[in-house]
Amino acid sequence: MAAQIEFKKVSKIYVRGGEKLIVLDAMDFSVASGEFIALMGPSGSGKSTILNLAGGLDVPDQGEVHVAGTRVDALRGSALAAWRSRHVGFVFQSFNLVPVLTALENVMLPLNLQPLSKAQRRQQAEYALEIVGLQDRMHHRPRQLSGGQEQRVAIARALATDPDILLADEPTGDLDRASADAVMELMRRLNEEMKKTILMVTHDLAAAGKAGKTMRLDKGVLVEALREAAVR
Amino acid sequence: MSATPWILSFRHPRVHWIRSGLTVFAMGLAFFLLCFLISLLTSLNSAVTQASSARLFMQSSVSLYVDLPRGYEAQIRGVDGVDDVTPFQWFGGYYQSPKNFFAQFGVKPDSFFPMYEREMAIVEGPGGVTGAAAGPAALEALRADRRGCLIGADLGRKYGWKVGDTVPVMGTIFQLEGGAAWDFKVVGLYEPLKSNVDGMTMWFRQDYLLESLDAGLASGPDGCGAYAINLEPGADSAAVIAAVDGLFTNGPQRTTTTTEGAFQAGFVSMMGNVPMFVAMIGGAIVVAVFFAVINALLLAGRQRVAETGILKALGFSDGAIARSMLGEAALLTALGVALGVGLTKGMETGIRGSLGTMIPNFAVADQTLLLGVGSLLVVGAVSGLAPAVLLARLRPTQALRNEG
Repeated sequence: MAAQIEFKKVSKIYVRGGEKLIVLDAMDFSVASGEFIALMGPSGSGKSTILNLAGGLDVPDQGEVHVAGTRVDALRGSALAAWRSRHVGFVFQSFNLVPVLTALENVMLPLNLQPLSKAQRRQQAEYALEIVGLQDRMHHRPRQLSGGQEQRVAIARALATDPDILLADEPTGDLDRASADAVMELMRRLNEEMKKTILMVTHDLAAAGKAGKTMRLDKGVLVEALREAAVR
Repeated sequence: MSATPWILSFRHPRVHWIRSGLTVFAMGLAFFLLCFLISLLTSLNSAVTQASSARLFMQSSVSLYVDLPRGYEAQIRGVDGVDDVTPFQWFGGYYQSPKNFFAQFGVKPDSFFPMYEREMAIVEGPGGVTGAAAGPAALEALRADRRGCLIGADLGRKYGWKVGDTVPVMGTIFQLEGGAAWDFKVVGLYEPLKSNVDGMTMWFRQDYLLESLDAGLASGPDGCGAYAINLEPGADSAAVIAAVDGLFTNGPQRTTTTTEGAFQAGFVSMMGNVPMFVAMIGGAIVVAVFFAVINALLLAGRQRVAETGILKALGFSDGAIARSMLGEAALLTALGVALGVGLTKGMETGIRGSLGTMIPNFAVADQTLLLGVGSLLVVGAVSGLAPAVLLARLRPTQALRNEG
């Protein structure tokens, strides 16, 4: 199966207080289309950096990042922004909804960058909210929603443009167990039914269990590559 | 181009309405203060800048409070280059109470009103006559009644006086026997056409005063406070000044003659450095308010850091992020300008009334409003650009970690 995400000798170094910190060290890995990968590892192991590089939110110091057939690390400015809006959906730990917009408006945000009519944008956003089971909350502002509902709105927003890839950074990190299970069940359905390629960072073993495969990192190096998840 | 940045520009001020409201209020207040202070200074100087270049004023070399003899008028009239002369006699009275003070001058109607026909217009005469007929009718009534007077329309509005009313004025310099009030009959209303004439003055017949003095019915100084001298076209003002002052070098009262502009500037200079002092304090307040506004908008930008990360992650460009912040600054600035213009123009009449005879020509000029608008636009642009550039330059990962 063709690789949707491919890292070739990718290194990322941060300088903090004059000290070099190697976050990723010549990392090689690939994720095939339709795979659901959980990235695990201790804090500072480079999990979120992989997501940021794959989504074009950050650039590597060395190596190449290929996502959905595009070399992302070579893109800059508006070309990179346009690529992101078409190919990648993000789900963050802290929900990250725009507080001054309603759930529907938040979901419509990425659609506003697409060449669609207002009616089409609204229709797609309503459909995305229907997928996550929140069509009855579409006119609520984020502060009027529970944490689990906020995260489901964030997933609907990530889905709205029907991207090839979903990048999720600790999507259950701020949720109670029941909400976390509901969100992970939703992620599993997106992978199995809608064939989305998902790369998810998590500390939660139960959440990782919903993924098809697990990758473990430590100090910027893959220590356990693509192990089949024990529980699904 | 996506409409999202503009939607956010409108939505943020609405959601954070207390901060936005206070920012708009501060902008409006700063605009009002700025325009008010500038108008105070320009109004003080307007009598100087609007003064006729073809008119001289003669006063005693000792002081404006020392009167000149009545006989000077005829001698001045005989000097080459002099077109006309009219006396001004400061009366210094009040209506009912000293706090109701306003300016009254005794003048000769047949020389005074023709001399000032381009600077004031008689807008209402006896019997409700208005338009072009108002002037001749009012002057005819003034000639017919020794107690007649013309008053500024603003003065009439302030005290509710109408044409035909009799107005009692208590003299301070000139006092009637027994301490009675002087009665003046309003025969016409005038409006100033230039700011060297104010709309809060009463002009009455000087002979009413002089005849009362001559008859022993009143007490007070004899003569007049100043003479206004109109020059013939092309006359050399310096030569005329030298000639008229030369007439009285040996008394009985030495004179100092200046242009009308210099004469008016003398009144302004009586206030010393007060206008500058007021301007400096006011300017400091305005600058402080402007910094508060800039700070408020920087805070608004700071609150958008996480949102900026989200938008960038979703694919919004740096330009879209900057537009959103600039849009909010533009909206708040526009509302601030609207509030400022409304406050300034809405309070102009009230301020003019409360300043009374101190600065009777208080007015907010269009140029002052434009300066206020320009100042707020600069503040709005600076306070919007600074956070807009900062947000646009943030890397998405920085913004998502809220490191703005």
